[in-house]
Amino acid sequence: MTGAALKLVMLGKQFEAKVERLNALRDVNLEIREGEFVTIVGPSGCGKSTLLMLVAGLQVPTAGWVEMDGQPVHGPGADRVVVFQDGALFPWLDVQGNVEFGLRVAGVRRAKRAQRVREFIKMVQLEKFAHARVHELSGGMKQRVALARALVLRPRVLLMDEPFAALDVHTREEMQSVVQDLWLRSGTTTLFVTHDVRESAVLGDRIVVMTHRPGTVSAILENHAPRPRTLNDPEVLDAIQRSNDILKAEVEWSNSQAKLAP
Amino acid sequence: MMRRREHSLAWEFRHLIPMVAIALAALTLWQAMVSLRVWPPYLFAGPTEAVRALVELWNRALLPRAIVATLQRLAVGFLISLVLGALLAFIMVRFTTFGKALQPYILGLQTFPSIAWVPLALIWFGFSETTLLFVTIIGSVFGVSISFADALRTVPPVYLQAARNMGSDGMDLILRVTVPAALPHLISAAKVGWAFAWRSLIGAEIIFASVGIGFLLNIRATVPDIGGVMGVMLVILVIGIVVDQLAFSKIQEWASRRRGLLAHR
Repeated sequence: MTGAALKLVMLGKQFEAKVERLNALRDVNLEIREGEFVTIVGPSGCGKSTLLMLVAGLQVPTAGWVEMDGQPVHGPGADRVVVFQDGALFPWLDVQGNVEFGLRVAGVRRAKRAQRVREFIKMVQLEKFAHARVHELSGGMKQRVALARALVLRPRVLLMDEPFAALDVHTREEMQSVVQDLWLRSGTTTLFVTHDVRESAVLGDRIVVMTHRPGTVSAILENHAPRPRTLNDPEVLDAIQRSNDILKAEVEWSNSQAKLAP
Repeated sequence: MMRRREHSLAWEFRHLIPMVAIALAALTLWQAMVSLRVWPPYLFAGPTEAVRALVELWNRALLPRAIVATLQRLAVGFLISLVLGALLAFIMVRFTTFGKALQPYILGLQTFPSIAWVPLALIWFGFSETTLLFVTIIGSVFGVSISFADALRTVPPVYLQAARNMGSDGMDLILRVTVPAALPHLISAAKVGWAFAWRSLIGAEIIFASVGIGFLLNIRATVPDIGGVMGVMLVILVIGIVVDQLAFSKIQEWASRRRGLLAHR
């Protein structure tokens, strides 16, 4: 087996809440192979976004650690780029300026920068909107820009934090196929967080099902449906079924625990 | 993609029509009070008398010299105040705990009447340009730093996260993200600062100066020349409006429209 590109080891995160300590994440172990597409699915509050922030280095774990190619991660870096839920595009820059941002920070020369920016704007099919401002774009277009802005940096791992949660159903499905297509072409190792079981089944080679407080992994499903996939492929439907079963069982279990508690 | 339509000059300035109407109404009211002889002419001059006095002051080169001197002081003082205020604001935002502890004192200094600095400044710097500059700066720098700090705090954390995530940090992060993200608020903050600086300077010039608008106003009162006094007051008002409308409002509108905070006309 090839070495894991990304490794989470006994990873945990506690937040200091007003009254008690809040366990957002506890004892998460996960290995993600080079070029793999892994989805993390779970109800809100299960710590899946926290997990992504720890991998990105934007938050510091209170237990365990994150490894990239065998090296522990300290702080944020352009090798692990996040696509945020609302895109987090910069409204004072146009599309081109947003895609160019990370390359400027990295000090890439102007000619090379321009060429790469053009290439990636074309890849998300926004050539006509290179000089549009962020407020002139639709929700789906914004997430295309966010994708281009992340991929142009050629990250080792692409981290996506419920990127399509705010989109309407049709746009969401369209964006899922855009992501799938980009991944098939670039082969970028991807960690994709969502609360949508169907989305996780369409996209993931492996589906990590997480459950409630303290956030922990309850199952990892393999999903070998051939690509490109759609929501109606039998193997995808099967993966959806299996994920739902696990999530339902977890809810029933935690409800019974609540009844037992004094 | 939306493109702004080109408009005729008349359309561009159409918002000026009600403004001009209000100015004319005020002038009419002013003239009416004079014509009705509510107060004797040596206590209350009409617009024609004020303008006549201004023309005379202009012809004697007193008015242009005063305006140039005052605006020069204002430009230098206000610029220094912006730089110092930005530094102070940056320290307050960067070092959160220290900044919070410092804030009430700076707020206190902001409300401190700038004229009350004049005696101290006179002892330190004598009857000099330095004194006038000092009062202009000290009268505005605290207001500037408080407003700048507030502006910097409006930056949504997700922008900073996204930028750090793409490898930006330190000075790079401040210049590439914090400042542009806060720009519309920073411009409002500068506007607040300019008003503070303007008031402080005119106040100080009234107390002492050898040339300047405040000085001219004071001299006209000792003549006494009621037309000159009211005329110079009018000049102070007009400069305030012009700077606000031509400089700050335009810059603010531009910055807001660029990021879609204003509806397209």
